[in-house]
Amino acid sequence: MAKVLVVDDEPNIVLSLEFLMEQAGFQVVTAYDGEAALERINDSAPDLLLLDISLPGISGFDVLEHLRHSEATAQLPVIMLTAHGRDIEREKGLALGADDYITKPFSTQSLIEKVKSLLKGNSQ
Amino acid sequence: MTRDGLPKRQRLIGLWLLLSGISLLGGAIFAAWLDAQLSPTGITRVALWLGSFSGGATIFLVGLLLERMLFTPLRHLQVQLARLVANPDARDEHPPEGWLKGLGPDLRRVRESWRVDRNQLATAHADGARSAAKIRRELETLLQVLETPLLLCDHHRRLMLFNQAAEDFFVDNTALGLGKRLEALLPVASLQQALSQLPADGSPRELLAPCDNRWLKVVLRRVPGSDGETLLTFSDATASWSNEMGVRAELATKLPLLRQHTASLTSAADALIQLRHNGSDNPTLRQRFEQVIQEESATLGNNVGQIGQLLDDLQHQGERLTPMWSNDFWQALDERLDPAHRLITPVGMPAWFKGDAPALIVLFDSLVKHLNSHLPVSHFEGEICLGNKRVYLDLIWQGSPLPEHELAKWRRQPLPSLPLNPLVSDVLRQHASDIWSLADDDAVHARLRLPLPAMDRVGAPRETAPPRPEFHDFGIADLPPPDEELANRTLRSLEVVAFDTETTGLELRRGDTVISLGACRVVNARLLASEVFDQKVDPKRPIPPNSTAIHGLTDADVAGAPPLDIVLTRFRDYVGEAVLLAHNAAFDMLAITNKGVVFDLPVIDTLLISRALDEALDGHDLDTLAQRYDLTFPPGTRHTALGDARVTAELWLALLPRLEARGVDTLEQLLALQANAFDRQDASAS
Repeated sequence: MAKVLVVDDEPNIVLSLEFLMEQAGFQVVTAYDGEAALERINDSAPDLLLLDISLPGISGFDVLEHLRHSEATAQLPVIMLTAHGRDIEREKGLALGADDYITKPFSTQSLIEKVKSLLKGNSQ
Repeated sequence: MTRDGLPKRQRLIGLWLLLSGISLLGGAIFAAWLDAQLSPTGITRVALWLGSFSGGATIFLVGLLLERMLFTPLRHLQVQLARLVANPDARDEHPPEGWLKGLGPDLRRVRESWRVDRNQLATAHADGARSAAKIRRELETLLQVLETPLLLCDHHRRLMLFNQAAEDFFVDNTALGLGKRLEALLPVASLQQALSQLPADGSPRELLAPCDNRWLKVVLRRVPGSDGETLLTFSDATASWSNEMGVRAELATKLPLLRQHTASLTSAADALIQLRHNGSDNPTLRQRFEQVIQEESATLGNNVGQIGQLLDDLQHQGERLTPMWSNDFWQALDERLDPAHRLITPVGMPAWFKGDAPALIVLFDSLVKHLNSHLPVSHFEGEICLGNKRVYLDLIWQGSPLPEHELAKWRRQPLPSLPLNPLVSDVLRQHASDIWSLADDDAVHARLRLPLPAMDRVGAPRETAPPRPEFHDFGIADLPPPDEELANRTLRSLEVVAFDTETTGLELRRGDTVISLGACRVVNARLLASEVFDQKVDPKRPIPPNSTAIHGLTDADVAGAPPLDIVLTRFRDYVGEAVLLAHNAAFDMLAITNKGVVFDLPVIDTLLISRALDEALDGHDLDTLAQRYDLTFPPGTRHTALGDARVTAELWLALLPRLEARGVDTLEQLLALQANAFDRQDASAS
């Protein structure tokens, strides 16, 4: 069973995402800020990350940079989430090495499809 | 037309030779007849023959004497007088010779005292005008540095003045020029109407006028106490207009939709909760509410996405975001950072982008200082990379990228030298932008990237022209209205465009054609120095070497020049409503007519005027006349189209006082004088 780490500082959306992901057959780990996210990744390597950009403390971009700089996580699939939805943030996220980028509000169905296709692509 | 003054030299010489010949022949016949009748011998016979020839010989010798002692000096005196009238300050020439020698002191006295009088007049005039000129200079300087585009037009709606800002504002618009009509620049009926209804007390009236896919906000004011002059200032209202009528209006229409769908969503969610609380299990009802929630969520998501797009557009259309040429930006940044050393070397191709220049300069200033405290290097390269909708301002250095948390720290810094003390992130948001750092592919360099809105403009900005020497000419206001009969205009008030063509040869009717066209403008009897037309033309045929020997133009010089019809269209625009002027105009007019552009304008010909004024004198070609009136060519400009056009214009200004002295005051009279002089082409004229 693939392990997905959901990182967001909004408990409401974490709750829904956790539920939806479990429904879709993934094992879910959650974190509410960047530091916690990095700890979780060190403890148990997830197969995929749902990462919100605007986190308290170190930002989502910062977390992404850390992951891409370390050998172990350089290839870890990362989908970025944002409530800003500006073109420029999408561009920045992809430039810093995100695999995909989803703007809030999003359709949960399309999110789950993206996660599945990324995991499939990664396991091949 | 009655001809007074000296008859032509050839005619005099012919008459004299005819008289001498007839007398000598008559004498010879008479002597032969007497000889036959009287059969004289010896001394008587010699006396008889000599007596018979004496009349003819006397006529011949007296003619010779008169030509040397009277007619030649008279002709020289005529040239002297013509030159004195046309150009009183011309250098001294020979004093009168022959029997007119006695006139020398008197002539010199007249010339000297006239010059002294003119000098005194000029000095008095200059003294009086000096303070006015000083005020005018200050006014001109003020107008030139004003950033507001500004035009002043007279009561005939002709442009009398405009500033540099107006030139930049109407760049590439050929209808902007001194003396040209305002209608040509802004053919808008509402503007004409507003002009005719302006209040005289100088209170402003505003209107919006379309001009080359822009909307201009025009403010008009009648200048109080003037002769119906109007001051117009302009601003580009396109951005603010499309903001208020476009994106902002759309945003306003989106909000009710948002309220509506949010209401549906919350009420459906409430209803579901109620349903559960009531414990009544109604599967169909619950299903319907769930469907509502699903539909409304999707619609809401779409709406929010559209609003986000609109806000992005709004940022890009910000009025503070103006076009910038990247090289100018780097230079301004360097001047702020460290004027002594160039800290930033621009690399790659320069490009246009949109930004709030002063804010970006402050932003980059703070950024470079921040980088300097974290990086071992202090020197950067600045590169512009092109994207689809954006351009990227990249700062490049040798080393590794700047970590995101450092950039995050910098984004939280205030920029105290900007209004409202914004944070770096605020200025980035103003440009709908962000900043990030990446390693280059070469693993040696790293860069910081700031995306900015691109401009659909290519090519470097126009070089700013030097300030115009004739920046305005208030005399334009005194010209008679152009719709009045042109023929009754005084010569001095004519607007004249002097032009000259260089051609592949003289056989215009056999395929020779124009390779260069030069022109300059005379307004109120002043030759404008900078408002010239100078254009090479592609003749679409090789230039023969013997004509290259005259004007120095080769095939290489005209390669890539526009064809004649394009050049003539531009030239027609340049001429506007002026009268054409050329030396030996018949040739130049033939060169430009029937080429698809109509020049149905009065034409003045200095060759014909000169011949009409001084019929007794030989040589009316441009070189001879330039010498006669002491006009100077800058070296190397003779036989260039613009150079000859300028000399023709100067010649026209030299002939003006002589025409006026003969009572030729209006264009009508001048054209009549010209028509009478048009008898045969002067072979040496060019």
